[in-house]
Amino acid sequence: MLVNDPAAAHFEIDPERTDLVEEFRRNPKGPHSDQLRKVLHRMRWSGEGGRFVLVTIDPGRRWVLGRLSGRRGDPVELFRNQTFDNPADAEWHVFKVRWQAITGRAIED
Amino acid sequence: MVDTNSVLGYATPIVASPGERIRFHLSSATMAEVGVEVVRVRCGDPDPAGPGLKLRSMGSAVDGRRPVRHQPLRPGSFAIVGDRLPLPAQSSFSFGCFLWPTMPAKGAVQTIAARVDRAGTGWRLEIAADGRLRFAITGADGRTASATAPRPLLEREWVFVAARYDEGGMLSLEQASLDPQGGRDCSAAMAGSAPAGVLWPDAAPLVFAARWTGEEAGRPVTADHYNGKIDRPRLHASALESAHIRALCDNLDPRPGDPGLIGAWDFAHGIGTDRVHDRAASRLDGQLFNQPARGVTGANWDGSAMSWQARPAHYGAIHFHDDDMADAGWEPDFALDVPADWPSGFYALRLTGENAEGAPVDSFVGFFVRAPLGRARAPVAFVASTATFLAYANSALRLDQVHAESMLEGLMQLSADDCYIAEHREVGLSTYDTHADGSGWIYSTARRPILSMRPRANSFNYVNDTHVLDWLEEKGFDYDVIADDDIHRQGAALLGQYRCVITGTHPEYYSREMWDAFDAYQRGGGRHIYLGGNGFYWRISWNPAMDSAIEVRRDVTGVRTWEGEPGEAYHSYTGEFAGLWRTNGRAPQRLVGVGFDAQVFDRSSWYRRLPESHDPRVAFLFEGIGADERIGDFGLRNGGAAGLEIDRAEATLGSPPHLLRVATADRIGYGGLPTPEEFRTAHRGLDGEQNGNVRADMVFFPTARGGAVFATGSIAWACALSPRGYDNNVSRITENVLRRFLDPAPFEGF
Repeated sequence: MLVNDPAAAHFEIDPERTDLVEEFRRNPKGPHSDQLRKVLHRMRWSGEGGRFVLVTIDPGRRWVLGRLSGRRGDPVELFRNQTFDNPADAEWHVFKVRWQAITGRAIED
Repeated sequence: MVDTNSVLGYATPIVASPGERIRFHLSSATMAEVGVEVVRVRCGDPDPAGPGLKLRSMGSAVDGRRPVRHQPLRPGSFAIVGDRLPLPAQSSFSFGCFLWPTMPAKGAVQTIAARVDRAGTGWRLEIAADGRLRFAITGADGRTASATAPRPLLEREWVFVAARYDEGGMLSLEQASLDPQGGRDCSAAMAGSAPAGVLWPDAAPLVFAARWTGEEAGRPVTADHYNGKIDRPRLHASALESAHIRALCDNLDPRPGDPGLIGAWDFAHGIGTDRVHDRAASRLDGQLFNQPARGVTGANWDGSAMSWQARPAHYGAIHFHDDDMADAGWEPDFALDVPADWPSGFYALRLTGENAEGAPVDSFVGFFVRAPLGRARAPVAFVASTATFLAYANSALRLDQVHAESMLEGLMQLSADDCYIAEHREVGLSTYDTHADGSGWIYSTARRPILSMRPRANSFNYVNDTHVLDWLEEKGFDYDVIADDDIHRQGAALLGQYRCVITGTHPEYYSREMWDAFDAYQRGGGRHIYLGGNGFYWRISWNPAMDSAIEVRRDVTGVRTWEGEPGEAYHSYTGEFAGLWRTNGRAPQRLVGVGFDAQVFDRSSWYRRLPESHDPRVAFLFEGIGADERIGDFGLRNGGAAGLEIDRAEATLGSPPHLLRVATADRIGYGGLPTPEEFRTAHRGLDGEQNGNVRADMVFFPTARGGAVFATGSIAWACALSPRGYDNNVSRITENVLRRFLDPAPFEGF
């Protein structure tokens, strides 16, 4: 069977590469450098730190952060105090959560 | 957030002409009354950056406040054999079959076969919550005796199972692995005492893959559904030795003259139907519910045939799923007689009110009104890609697999519909999804609510196509809507009524009959504008006995969100080979000049004109467009007109010699990745930043008798029609083409 294995994304993220953090902060939507693409693929494929999603409250205007459990039939968990009027802000928020989950280091705003 | 799900429904049929009747089947678990209004859909996309929702109230006879009731969805497929002699005459008996369980450790009981009444009296062979086979009998006094195998069944491994009851007071159970090596042997036998002389109940049907609990609204209600295959079930009226039961199962054609043989079901008979056939002398034929997979390999399949038609005896299994959903069976609430003067179009039943929290509800049931058959009302037909809408119906792919965020290069944006489907799998998923047991969904029907085929739905196919309707209305073009269902049934005669036929953003799923219709139309002077990407890609079958039901099998190659099982690449509905049209010798390039080459979901691109765009024979295309103008460097889908899924011309795949490649978007970026059938070996440099074959081509070519084809090769094109007040080069090129295609003058010089 063809399956998508979340653990297959195994690029090692160097916690010292804060330049990549800054690159993402400046330009969440990309295009990104080759090294940052690899960091993002690890984060997005593996879901480490949380398989986050945006749930549309008002199309094109407002979104709330959500998270998938990975189990069929579970509701989408909503973080009702985390709303965004720009998806790029949500990308930065999720990047910070995942960077800390993977590297153990927090990103200062 | 607008509540789009507190009331749901479906229409039967989903396509009708004026004068025909459409029934609406509704349900709400929380609302008692809804506001009903029929609307004609001009734009179904609420995105404020675009045209916005544009729905015209039709003032129909069914409009008004209406009560709504709760009608449950009961997923899970099964076969049921009605209660009749010789079933009630049993006391001692034996049952045997081959099993291929796909989810033995489900954590809940799964029934292989059972004959129990409403009170649970009777016998049942089942997989217990821990994956172990169990045979249980429950007497009229409510007491249960059972035998349970000491070891669980193995997932996706064939096993012979047998159970028998001896009226002298014994029951027993056996399982024998068909490949007992390498750790795959779960063979075991168990016996136990049981009450003597048990008589089985009347009014208890025999059911495979579920346990009967009663009837509701004339349909059987069942529980404890099974996931996996059942092959060659046999029922005998005596307590036979295991070897004897095994011989009955091994025998493809057991002697009907055996007076003890109650049932010998042959699932290879009637593939493509919802009937199961009994070879024994009493003909205990049965009925399938919710369309389990047929035309699937049995325990004896050895690879000597790949098609169930070539060797039916190797395809005597049915693959049941506890989440199959083919027919909700809801009672109709009311019917609409489509008025004679209604224009053809996309329509919806709008359902409004307040949900349990007092929030507004704005739900829709999508349907389509065509012109009366044989009486076109406009020179242009827009195709409602109902096959594609069915293929994508209620997709939970983004929720269940992990690729989406990487593919989008960003966070997924879920709708209220996505959140609903996350919790409510009983609506039945799409042919992009996997069942709970990991196998692919091969059937999709319209007899259930389809959340993705209505206004406010997720922006793919249906909603994107309404941007073309919006543009046609804005520009004042009269059009009829014709649906894939009709093209399949009416063929070229339907298309031939129109001077120009427009296919939309994603006409991906085509039956042979639909393909032939377009081929004949184009050869007969028809003019075809294909405003999409990834069109004419998968070969499908339509169910001959049920409206708006399709079959898709994903084998061999193509962008496959699941991989079909070996030996299961032929449709059960028709016996046709499935897979890509490219594999079937009809790459899309042969029909429309371009064919699917890449997905690009992170950002869309723009087209530049190529030298052939200055060919005087196609001067009409670029009137008002500068030589160096960027075409479509704007749009509602990731900022460009070339994106999402894109197509390219390729002579070796059939792009015709007279084709003019007039523009291309070939600077796609690293988010553009080719489809699997577009590269021979894996290597770096496949992405759009480095690979010039990851591109969208805009093409024109003439066909016979004055016909022609124009294609843009991009799903995103239609969502770039409306920016700048519809005054932009995407809109202009589209209008240039349509006006010229409506002019009967032939295309000269080719």
